[in-house]
Amino acid sequence: MKLSRIAGLYVPIVTILGYVFLFAPLVVLVIYSFNAGRSTVVWTGFSMDWYVQALNDRGLQRGLQVSAIVAVLSAIISTAIGTSAALAVIKRPFPAKNLFSTLLIAPLVLPEIVLAVGMLVATVWSGLALGYLTLVAGHVLVSVPFTFLIVRAAAATLDPRLDEAAADLGAHGGQIFMRVTLPLLLPAILSATLLSAIISFDNFVMSTFVSGVGTTPLPIQIYAMLKTGLTPKINALGTMLIGVNVLAILLVMGRYLKTVRGTGQ
Amino acid sequence: MPNDKKSEPDKTGRPAVELVDVCKVFDTSATPPAYAVDHLSLKIASGEFFTFLGPSGCGKTTTLRMIAGFESPTAGKILLEGHDVSGLPAHMRNTNTVFQSYALFPHLSVEDNVAFGLAVKRVPRSERGDRVAAALDLVRMRHAAGRKPSELSGGQQQRIALARALVNEPSVLLLDEPFGALDLKLRREMQIEVKEMQRRLGITFIFVTHDQEEALTMSDRIAVMSTGVVRQIDDPVGIYERPTDRFTAGFIGDMNMLSATVLERQDGVVEVLAADTRLKLKTNAELPAGKDCTIAMRPEALTFMRDSADDAAFAGKVESAVYVGTDRLYNIRLQTGEAMTVRVRNSRADSVLRIGEKVSLFCPSSAIHLLSDQDKK
Repeated sequence: MKLSRIAGLYVPIVTILGYVFLFAPLVVLVIYSFNAGRSTVVWTGFSMDWYVQALNDRGLQRGLQVSAIVAVLSAIISTAIGTSAALAVIKRPFPAKNLFSTLLIAPLVLPEIVLAVGMLVATVWSGLALGYLTLVAGHVLVSVPFTFLIVRAAAATLDPRLDEAAADLGAHGGQIFMRVTLPLLLPAILSATLLSAIISFDNFVMSTFVSGVGTTPLPIQIYAMLKTGLTPKINALGTMLIGVNVLAILLVMGRYLKTVRGTGQ
Repeated sequence: MPNDKKSEPDKTGRPAVELVDVCKVFDTSATPPAYAVDHLSLKIASGEFFTFLGPSGCGKTTTLRMIAGFESPTAGKILLEGHDVSGLPAHMRNTNTVFQSYALFPHLSVEDNVAFGLAVKRVPRSERGDRVAAALDLVRMRHAAGRKPSELSGGQQQRIALARALVNEPSVLLLDEPFGALDLKLRREMQIEVKEMQRRLGITFIFVTHDQEEALTMSDRIAVMSTGVVRQIDDPVGIYERPTDRFTAGFIGDMNMLSATVLERQDGVVEVLAADTRLKLKTNAELPAGKDCTIAMRPEALTFMRDSADDAAFAGKVESAVYVGTDRLYNIRLQTGEAMTVRVRNSRADSVLRIGEKVSLFCPSSAIHLLSDQDKK
């Protein structure tokens, strides 16, 4: 009897421990962002000071600005490339289609550090300066497999008869894209854009190699600050980043749920 | 659309659609080439309800898709109202298609679906509204104008697909198995409704189906197709009552077929030998003595009692009997080994037979169809 009761508790206990392991560090980080003292271990009282300090930190402001610019640009470029490639693969016949698809997804399985070193070597070889250009290019390289996969999955569910129906009603290629393909793929395209922006914003490995002087993105800026000492300022920043990311993911999920409900699948 | 053109033959006599030696080969690397459509030539008159009938894979849908412009012919010409459109893409042809899967735009309302063709052709907004409303009235779906396709039943979606095509006032409307996904009752209703609509609008309808009953009820003329070739073109009565081709005879309704050999030919009458029986039949076909051919008889044309002195007679034995309400169906094994099906009205005196009983089968010679074997496949 007793043994079976313990056995019955096994699953809930393991589950709870798993979640504690996942979220305890985040909870601690959020709690100590409101600590009045300098310590990230000893609680001395509630305060919002570290938020004020974090928002007023020149380095963090600059890092946030760089990260935001790179995230927006790389997300737009990555989505454009991913969408075009996905439509080509789904809608047009061409030789070596599978090879082309696999090569596009390859950055997903290659170690990012190898890609990053490759980007750096290519940059040096081409004589370009490290900066926004190399950052955006590097982030596009990392995120393009994701945008390609998301849009391809959505495009594969499109009924090819819709294109024929539109052509039959007198629409030429451009009109078919603007009036049928694009509206139907829009939820997937928006999801892909948001996801690639998050990937860019969080990126560390690629950024370490291809950021230049004066274009240090936020994650690297934070890492640099750790070297001079851990203060709740970083906790405060971390809390704000969690907030932004959760909001973005909720937006993606919201759109996704809406399309799922809309198509009745 | 709003103006009801009465169905009348085109004064110019110019066919709405003309196919000249049209071929389609999908896999051009294969030798010999596998023809999906094999040197097809025919004319479809303006205002006609024309049906391509055949089993799946016979090339009927491919033919329709070539007329619509979704496929380009490998060889041959397609003329719409006298103009060669072989090289024109679908969006530049004055045809519209109703798809089996409806292919309504899921992101647009019913109204916007119907207005799609007018919008891409930049028809002024005010005119668009009137024409969309008239098209929706035509299919009795105006109440659903604001709804999304996913909120409609299959039959309703098919009506919207019809309205979306007809609103463009096409010279030819192409229908690709449009009722294939509907249940039987709804299909019957839609058949009558669409036929009535075609009569009223006077638009040329080209219809593709594998359902012989559907083809017979709706069409002015039917082209029976198999293996990429048109076997016979005729009106429904001709297709059913005067099949000239072995495939057509076997595909439309039930048919008993016997292999035969021509013995003698004289002044439009041939004498043939089939199942050890000599038969004299009238025909216009080129059948020299010694040639193989096929004779065909409908199960309902056969009886067990001689009605007239020159009826053909075959001897056989009853193998099985099935009661089907108004009729009885018998399977008869002839002495020469061939199986024949006989359908007899229960009201007839000769209707009840025992299994194993020896019988004579009679058929009036006017009900025996003589088919040439040249395209037996």
